[in-house]
Amino acid sequence: MQYSQKVLDHFMKPHNVGKMENPDAVATEGSPACGDQVSIFLKVDPQSLIIEDIKFQSYGCASNIATASIITDLAKGKTLAAAKQITWKEAADALDGLPPVKMHCSVLAVDTLRKAIKEYEVKHQLAREEKFTKDTIVEELRKVIYPKVGEDIVTLRMVKYAGFENGIATVDIDIPKIDKYRDNVAEEIREHLGKFPEIKEVRITL
Amino acid sequence: MNRIYFDNCLTSQPAPEVVAAMLPYLRDKFYFPKNFILDGSGIQNDLDRFRNIIAASMGAEAEELHITSGGTSANNIGIKGYLMANAARGNHIILSVIDYPDLLTNASFFEKSGYDVTYLTADPDGFVKLAELKQAIKPSTVLFMTTLVNHVVGAVQPIQEIRKVLDSSGHKIALFADACEAYGRIPLDVNKSGVDLMTVSAHKIHGPQGVGALYQRRGIALMPVKHGVNRVDNLETGGVSTAAIAGFAKAVELTFQDFDKKTAYIRELSDHLLHRLETEIPHIMLNGPRGMLRAPHNVNVSIAYIEGEAIMVMLDLAGIMVATGSACASQGLKPNYVLMALGRNHEQSHGSIKFTLSRYNTREEIDLTVEKLKGIVAELRSRSPLYNKE
Repeated sequence: MQYSQKVLDHFMKPHNVGKMENPDAVATEGSPACGDQVSIFLKVDPQSLIIEDIKFQSYGCASNIATASIITDLAKGKTLAAAKQITWKEAADALDGLPPVKMHCSVLAVDTLRKAIKEYEVKHQLAREEKFTKDTIVEELRKVIYPKVGEDIVTLRMVKYAGFENGIATVDIDIPKIDKYRDNVAEEIREHLGKFPEIKEVRITL
Repeated sequence: MNRIYFDNCLTSQPAPEVVAAMLPYLRDKFYFPKNFILDGSGIQNDLDRFRNIIAASMGAEAEELHITSGGTSANNIGIKGYLMANAARGNHIILSVIDYPDLLTNASFFEKSGYDVTYLTADPDGFVKLAELKQAIKPSTVLFMTTLVNHVVGAVQPIQEIRKVLDSSGHKIALFADACEAYGRIPLDVNKSGVDLMTVSAHKIHGPQGVGALYQRRGIALMPVKHGVNRVDNLETGGVSTAAIAGFAKAVELTFQDFDKKTAYIRELSDHLLHRLETEIPHIMLNGPRGMLRAPHNVNVSIAYIEGEAIMVMLDLAGIMVATGSACASQGLKPNYVLMALGRNHEQSHGSIKFTLSRYNTREEIDLTVEKLKGIVAELRSRSPLYNKE
């Protein structure tokens, strides 16, 4: 078994699982086509901005469910500002690690939490929608994990070029021809960049 | 805890008799054959006997059989050997997109070396379409390959009809069958089926891992592709474990004794499993064909709204081993290519669970598994954002 006992514990008996009635904010990330989707519901105290209650729903594998469970544990009782700072590495560490090929589950859980927080902040005029720039693309590429080592493709310097012009996002990736994760990395990039309405087309060179 | 094993397509537990049959060759009878000493010639006699047993199980003659270091080795020796020996006759290969990876990767290797390859589609149940095959044949076609029993959905390819289509072309097209998944599960006869080359594996019929066989019809030329010293077989050079061959022969004896009774028993079990799954778990869908066109040991279903790796891990923690077509459990994080080719969507592939049964399974195991699975499906659906309880 490649999963730690802690992953299995959270998978078998997840914390804070289920739908929330009348949440203050809700976010859903991922898609059934990719095999993982997480929804996070927040209840926030408007004075202290502390996350009073948090729930999740998950369609996905064991590590998807476990990372969603641990992220709710980590975020509960924290202020929105503090919860935003939780990284996918911290979430993975809190589970005593994840197999490299499963690291993207932690990214998805953190991403969903941050999106839910953002939604609350925008709704309450605490933050504005961010303007889309070329940097948005690079930030989004930081969420694409190279499954072989469990690290993101920007940190690994696999992104040779990222550009944006006339609605076309261009990404050059350095990955060996025989790499079994080649298709997966390309698909992940498409999925991540595809959700921005500003991007009409994604061109990937491998 | 007694584990319940439903992944016999991947590999199967060696029969106790098989292990016992192997042991002498791991101890005193450790020689290679043909050493012009008494013990060596004794080994040669034993190997001849084993080869006869294995050949007879598929209606072949011993001289037509190569003992190999497993199914994949047999596939490589057969495919590469045939194409290289027949390079002057033509360079067109036909196979299907749902074939076993051995066949697909060999085809892709030849494609890169300049061969012309046609990848046929399959119908929604996993069968090769004969009309499409007929259309694909060219004067340069030398080889058609098929996975006789599909390794994912258990579809039994219409091998005799395929033979007829190939013969109607008016020139010789070799019929290659990867029968590793079919052997010991459906009746196989090299003459009735009309195959020219066929491969089988011991470890899927409760024999040892690391040994298989290649059937080569008389008159079909194979160029040696593995060069080296000749010990057991002229094409599978080097040593092949005598113990493994002994175990293989014993596994064959056990499997083909009361063969019809044994396969009927397995079919009864999988029918029972499928019936309970379909009647007791809502939103479940069978992948592949129904009835006698399906190999008796295979039940593959897609369970909606939840993901297969999670189901597999929960079953595993309950002591039940199955397989899934989910990308999350695959090597390259890709959904199962066979299910996708049959028109299943990503979600249906991610939510697929494959049970492959053996004669060692029992009705009690099936019933226990269904009960466990019902609880697991209900639990995972209660967590899923895709599932709305009506």
